[in-house]
Amino acid sequence: MKIAVLSGKGGTGKTFVSVNLAYVMANSAYVDCDVEEPNGELFFKGNYTEEPVEVEIPVIDHNSCILCGKCSDFCRFNALAIIIDKVRVFSQLCHSCGGCKLVCPVEAITEKKKNIGMIKESYYENHHIVSGVLNIKEETGVKIIDEIIEKIKTFNEDVVIDCPPGNGCSVMASIKETDYCILVAEPTIFGLHNLEMVYELTQVFDKKIGIVINKAESNDIINQFAMSKNIEILMKIPFDREMGRLNSMGEIVSKKIKYKAIFDNLAEKILRKKQ
Amino acid sequence: MKQILILSGKGGTGKTTIASNFINISKAKIFADCDVEAPNLHLISMVKNLKERENYYGLDKSVIDQEQCLKCGICYDHCKFNAIVYKDNQYKIDLHLCEGCGVCNYVCPQKAISFVKSIDGELLLYKDEDRAFSTAKLNMGSGNSGLLVTRVKKNIHELIRKDDLVIIDGPPGIGCPVIASMSGVNLVLLVAEPSLSGISDLKRIIKTASSFHLKIAVCINKYDLNKKLTQSIIEYLNINNYSFVGLISYDKEIIDYINLGKPLLEGSKPYKEIKKVFDNTISLIS
Amino acid sequence: MIIIIPTKTSGEKSFISDNLGRANYFYVFDSNKNIGEVYINKHLDNPHGVGIKTAEFILNKHSDVLITPRVGEKSLELLKGKVKIYKSIDKIVKENIASFFNNDLEELH
Repeated sequence: MKIAVLSGKGGTGKTFVSVNLAYVMANSAYVDCDVEEPNGELFFKGNYTEEPVEVEIPVIDHNSCILCGKCSDFCRFNALAIIIDKVRVFSQLCHSCGGCKLVCPVEAITEKKKNIGMIKESYYENHHIVSGVLNIKEETGVKIIDEIIEKIKTFNEDVVIDCPPGNGCSVMASIKETDYCILVAEPTIFGLHNLEMVYELTQVFDKKIGIVINKAESNDIINQFAMSKNIEILMKIPFDREMGRLNSMGEIVSKKIKYKAIFDNLAEKILRKKQ
Repeated sequence: MKQILILSGKGGTGKTTIASNFINISKAKIFADCDVEAPNLHLISMVKNLKERENYYGLDKSVIDQEQCLKCGICYDHCKFNAIVYKDNQYKIDLHLCEGCGVCNYVCPQKAISFVKSIDGELLLYKDEDRAFSTAKLNMGSGNSGLLVTRVKKNIHELIRKDDLVIIDGPPGIGCPVIASMSGVNLVLLVAEPSLSGISDLKRIIKTASSFHLKIAVCINKYDLNKKLTQSIIEYLNINNYSFVGLISYDKEIIDYINLGKPLLEGSKPYKEIKKVFDNTISLIS
Repeated sequence: MIIIIPTKTSGEKSFISDNLGRANYFYVFDSNKNIGEVYINKHLDNPHGVGIKTAEFILNKHSDVLITPRVGEKSLELLKGKVKIYKSIDKIVKENIASFFNNDLEELH
């Protein structure tokens, strides 16, 4: 089963839920698709293997270039410019569409591979850990997410995907192959508004969903929202200073008997949906 | 006119909470929310009168004219984003996947592919007699850009009078939208949080802001959730000579009042803490 | 000498734009001829990479001096060593140019 963990914004406890859920499931995989801020590794410490992720970017042969400017005019992302007497490539802006190479009248453009980040893999106890990391200054990590999703297609174990926040294209890429989505929200009017955004996204892609309320209170606004939309509430995590402190230090709280039970319960509820 | 921009790097540190309390405390008349991917300030903004709504256009996307299409599939072969799908005997462009590069338009032998405007979101300006609030909302699957942030700020620009204090809730991260939000501001207030991930994000955002020679102030929210890490943030700020403007406790009352849509009670503990942060921040720019 | 300034409105009486790449106009002043020309920023509505297009424009105008409140990373990389960059003051274009010739402007970067 492939389970995506989503939230409308950062800081609601998405990584907290993903890490602990994956940890209590036997033989599971934890997959971090939040490539701009991959924090799962802070919890699953270990030796990771690294596999580069590459995109194709143009290379200009300045000897044959006639400075006609067609490539720079064509590029809708402004990744090429004529600076004084040379065409320069700004690889961070390049979307690898291949257009410049097509329009060059003198075949002065070829392509080369450029590293934009990596996919790291490790084992933590009996859990398979996969984490995508986007290099600082790169604009989009969708390619890394696509490669991760391709990779986990062959996994036999249950997979928990820690998604990027929001409802942008990288979230869409992350939930493509999932069977179930967990939406994590805090009971504030901000939390509710952001939950509504991701809820809308999961509906467009026709996903089965459930809600986890972090820092829950009795009959709070997230609870009310879930009831009104008939969405299952999978778990309510009450605010707990000790739990917050352990988590902020990068510890897996479900290692403690005290907290393990609530995540066991969550795992059981979700895995039951497999049948 | 003084502009304060509130940023955090990491999401969920309490940026909007601080921004809304700053607005209450200062009685600021002009404010903006540049966190357009997950805008929240409008939920508690007292200015409810929507005055202007304007579409925000991103890059144009491609569309195939079915009447002219010969179904040769050349566009399909060239699209690097898998945005062209063949279904029901037709080639079509999935607008969620199309990045607007224009390669398909170029390779089509029939010239059957053209650009269409793509509405990526909308700009909203709220106004009453003497207050104005500018924000925007992005559509699903669209990304923020420096352009949109600049537009949000431009919407209030002409309304700012000489003595106004302007409060801007900034976007998360350290990318282009953040840099665009920094233009014209007098001070950047960073809302830090005592966690390992919070600290690494704080350092990255400080680096970005310093490269623009901006005045930086840092406050620590929910500081009591991890006093040890709070201490190490303060030490880091001291060593590097950044202004530290105060601590705010984790207090349910702050959230309760926001949920009720009411300002904090003057004299309450959270009010006093935020007021102190506010006063210290203002003293840096006056 | 060619001086280039990002501006909010057109002309020498305009205030300076808050940012470079998303300025509405550029004021290009040729001090030898004592003539100023106004250019519309063609890339204003472009979501990505305006910094690069702006630098391209500045260099194509053979500018010697840029007066601006700030320069983004991408433009800076291209302009460094080719154009002298000065920090603008909160006054109109004309006064910024005058201040520049009085050596009153502070060099940026």
